[in-house]
Amino acid sequence: MSVLEAPRAPVPPKPRNPRTVLAGWVAGAVVVAVHVIAWRATDISIADLVDGWQGMADFLAEAVPPDLSPGLLRESAEASLVTLWIGLLGTTLSVPLSLMLALLAARGTSPAGWIYQITRGLLSFLRAVPDVVFALIFVTAVGLGPFPGVLALVTHNVGVMGKLWAETLEDADPGPATALRSAGAGRIQVAAHALLPSVMPQMVGLLLYRFDVNVRSSLVLGLVGAGGIGFLINQSIQLFQFDQMLTHILVVLVLIIAVDRLSAVVRRRLAPAGAS
Amino acid sequence: MLRLTGLAVRYGDREILRGIDIEVAAGELLAVLGANGSGKSTLLRAAAGLDPVSRGSITVADRQRRTMDIALVFQKIHLVGRRSALDNVCAGALGRLPLRRSLTPALFPRDVREEAMACLDRVGLANRAHDRAGRLSGGQQQRVAIARALCQRAPVVLADEPVSALDPAAAEQVLALLAELAHGEGLAVLAVLHQPDLARRHADRIVGLRDGAVVLEGDPRQPVDGLYADREPEAVR
Ligand SMILES: Nc1ncnc2c1ncn2[C@@H]1O[C@H](COP(=O)(O)OP(=O)(O)OP(=O)(O)O)[C@@H](O)[C@H]1O
Ligand SMILES: [Mg+2]
Repeated sequence: MSVLEAPRAPVPPKPRNPRTVLAGWVAGAVVVAVHVIAWRATDISIADLVDGWQGMADFLAEAVPPDLSPGLLRESAEASLVTLWIGLLGTTLSVPLSLMLALLAARGTSPAGWIYQITRGLLSFLRAVPDVVFALIFVTAVGLGPFPGVLALVTHNVGVMGKLWAETLEDADPGPATALRSAGAGRIQVAAHALLPSVMPQMVGLLLYRFDVNVRSSLVLGLVGAGGIGFLINQSIQLFQFDQMLTHILVVLVLIIAVDRLSAVVRRRLAPAGAS
Repeated sequence: MLRLTGLAVRYGDREILRGIDIEVAAGELLAVLGANGSGKSTLLRAAAGLDPVSRGSITVADRQRRTMDIALVFQKIHLVGRRSALDNVCAGALGRLPLRRSLTPALFPRDVREEAMACLDRVGLANRAHDRAGRLSGGQQQRVAIARALCQRAPVVLADEPVSALDPAAAEQVLALLAELAHGEGLAVLAVLHQPDLARRHADRIVGLRDGAVVLEGDPRQPVDGLYADREPEAVR
């Protein structure tokens, strides 16, 4: 039988529930209304943008060409490395605490309901406070430099990674865990031998993703005095050395692309191993 | 050895098991037969303490059941795919290991690893000890799961459809192994089977379940058609 002769059947009209239709219109109206409010509250003004165009052009004219003198490049590269190290330590130093809190904040592994609730609350708090705010706090506590940057990243990252890991643990196949529990294994043993090995690739993937994000965040932390290339960018803006600023930005661009590629490659390598 | 008395299990307001009495003696292989949905898996899970029991008692050697007393081989196998066959078998011993000797497989005491190796050897998989469990065939995984149960050293072994994924020759081997555990080592073995023919040849006794109740019991050579006959197929219910 050729395709043309294939049997056909009329498609009945899709039944429309008037309440779903109404709900669709209401949802649409709400979205529009919210945008109108947001537009007003943020003082969006096309006119200001047009007026300010000249200022931006001047800014760019001064920034191009970037200052490529070897001394500055060296300084920039060194500061970029510091940014990288801040991002690295901010990620790895948060691993032990993230893991502990993730285990306490995952339904399958949390010892009690109230511990689950408290841990979830703590993680939400750490996530809700931006790392820049933590950086400002730690700068006042331990002074300017990369160290408060590391502390800020660790603190915020525990909140994010703890939650991501907890959710990964909750999504793990409960079968092997049940099997070990029925063999008399305790809570920690079940986590160590059934859950963690099953979700290890996902957890490492999330860790790399956070490393990627943290390197970029540590750049911003530099702007508030927590060391690294962000600090230099801030300095060059305040001294109106826009050509130097552009140099720093280009150098850091290279760094960020490199980290991004690296973490993508590693994550891709992990993926096939995860298929078990 | 294992004694279930008046065992009842409910899910919501549905009574899945309705007062089951079953005994398995040490050295005996008991086959449990029954149609899909008759409550076989529920029976095993309840006996092993995984599902709450609404009525009845479970004793092992005339004492209240402890978790370690019963080793359960699951219908869905439940191995950790990313760990080696040997590590999976070692995990059967977790219940008797202190935490500091059991946080990673590398910490397992040598005697546990050697015992696990012997268990793998019993199921004929010594040569795959270091392969990832997830890379083994379904039948091989089933045998690893049995080895894990052996490593638990429980006097009672419950196996839920241990041969449903196996080819006829492998099924024959696994049942011979279960029979040998019962007859040779004096374990009380209960296996859920869907093949009356295998039960007839290997089991010492059979129990037939229907709608959560025991409807026949005794000689494995008796006819069991009644268990599966004139039943509304589950899908249409
Ligand atoms: N967690 C659960 N919640 C509600 N009902 C359940 C649950 N587990 C099982 N049941 C019900 O209990 C009944 C018995 O299920 P069970 O898995 O014990 O059957 P079975 O005899 O093992 O079947 P099969 O041969 O298909 O493995 C089924 O009707 C099933 O729908
Ligand atoms: Mg079943």
